[in-house]
Amino acid sequence: MFFHIVLERNMQLHPRHFGPHLRDKLVAKLMKDVEGTCSGRHGFVVAITGVEDIGKGLIREGTGFVTFPVKYQCVVFRPFKGEILEAVVTMVNKMGFFAEAGPVQIFVSNHLIPDDMEFQSGDVPNYTTSDGSVKIQKESEVRLKIIGTRVDATEIACVVLFANSNLDIACLISPRKPAY
Amino acid sequence: MANRGGKGSYPPSKSGAPNGRQMVLISDDSDSDSDDFFEEEAPPTHSKSNGKASSDSLKTGGKASSFSNGSKGGKAFSAGKGGKGSASNAKPAMSDAELKLQLDMSPNSILLTNCEAAEMLQKIQGHMAILSEDPKIKIPESFDKAFQYAKEGNHFTSAKLVKEILEPLKDYGVNDGEICMIANIGPETIEEVYALIPSLKATRSINEGKIAEALTALANIKASK
Repeated sequence: MFFHIVLERNMQLHPRHFGPHLRDKLVAKLMKDVEGTCSGRHGFVVAITGVEDIGKGLIREGTGFVTFPVKYQCVVFRPFKGEILEAVVTMVNKMGFFAEAGPVQIFVSNHLIPDDMEFQSGDVPNYTTSDGSVKIQKESEVRLKIIGTRVDATEIACVVLFANSNLDIACLISPRKPAY
Repeated sequence: MANRGGKGSYPPSKSGAPNGRQMVLISDDSDSDSDDFFEEEAPPTHSKSNGKASSDSLKTGGKASSFSNGSKGGKAFSAGKGGKGSASNAKPAMSDAELKLQLDMSPNSILLTNCEAAEMLQKIQGHMAILSEDPKIKIPESFDKAFQYAKEGNHFTSAKLVKEILEPLKDYGVNDGEICMIANIGPETIEEVYALIPSLKATRSINEGKIAEALTALANIKASK
């Protein structure tokens, strides 16, 4: 789900940036440092919508850098337990399939895909039921319900099940594309 | 979640009954002991062995996820295997209470529906286009993806009208999160609402009529796709 929240961050600025455009440089640095990041607490920071307040700067001893406390508003996206996400399958292979719901990437392992669904390789790899009635392939839309989450500092792991079915599927939702 | 839904059911682009098969999840112990770590309680009805899914495990082909119950070790999700199943033969994997939406954002946060987020991000995109002319400024990929998701998840023509239609449901036992889910899913029937948001069943006698009215009003402002 999307949220509009106020966050606070301490920004460090090198003295070479001091001058009449100090605020602009702080905001630019804030956007560069924060937009596109993911935290376990707030989820993905999609975009900064405004800066509420920039506090007084404090000079750090020994370095000359100045730390400014900055309050800013931003749009974040974070999955929650009980939420329904509509995801689009992006890749299917014998290990499982990847899907995306906005900035979150979901991986569903083949260990957790029902035995009735077989992996079919070929030009369009897919998982298909034995009777052919259900097929998961690239660009398929799936509706997933999150039934559990675990968060740490930089990523969120969720357990999902397909909404309106009884397929329990565990997956990892991570801002990083996994290497395999 | 044994009920079948309308649009967006699995998979929505293909017809056919969803397979009611369930899986047993067997996995290793979690090593999640970071201080920055906090975990939500896993559903107690599923308690087989633990699981681990991380970016490392993805390299080896993926293992099951682990969801600790606040202590070392943990519970995993499991479900029994069945024969060739249909939705009617499958048992619900979890109770309605366990599937309740659990929002734990800070109090100063404002929940946005997909339509509100799409409108907000549309304005920001205009500014981003100007900024992107500067080669030093890189627009994050997550913005485009989130914007695309919000646009595609937006089933209605106006966020303001959606809010006006759904806001009165608060007086009938529907909380902000559930209202947001109704707006995001865009259900067509009342049964679809209760199937996808089972927590509303508890107050069905109070809210059924009002939700049905809201759905009728929402149908009038649905965007054509």
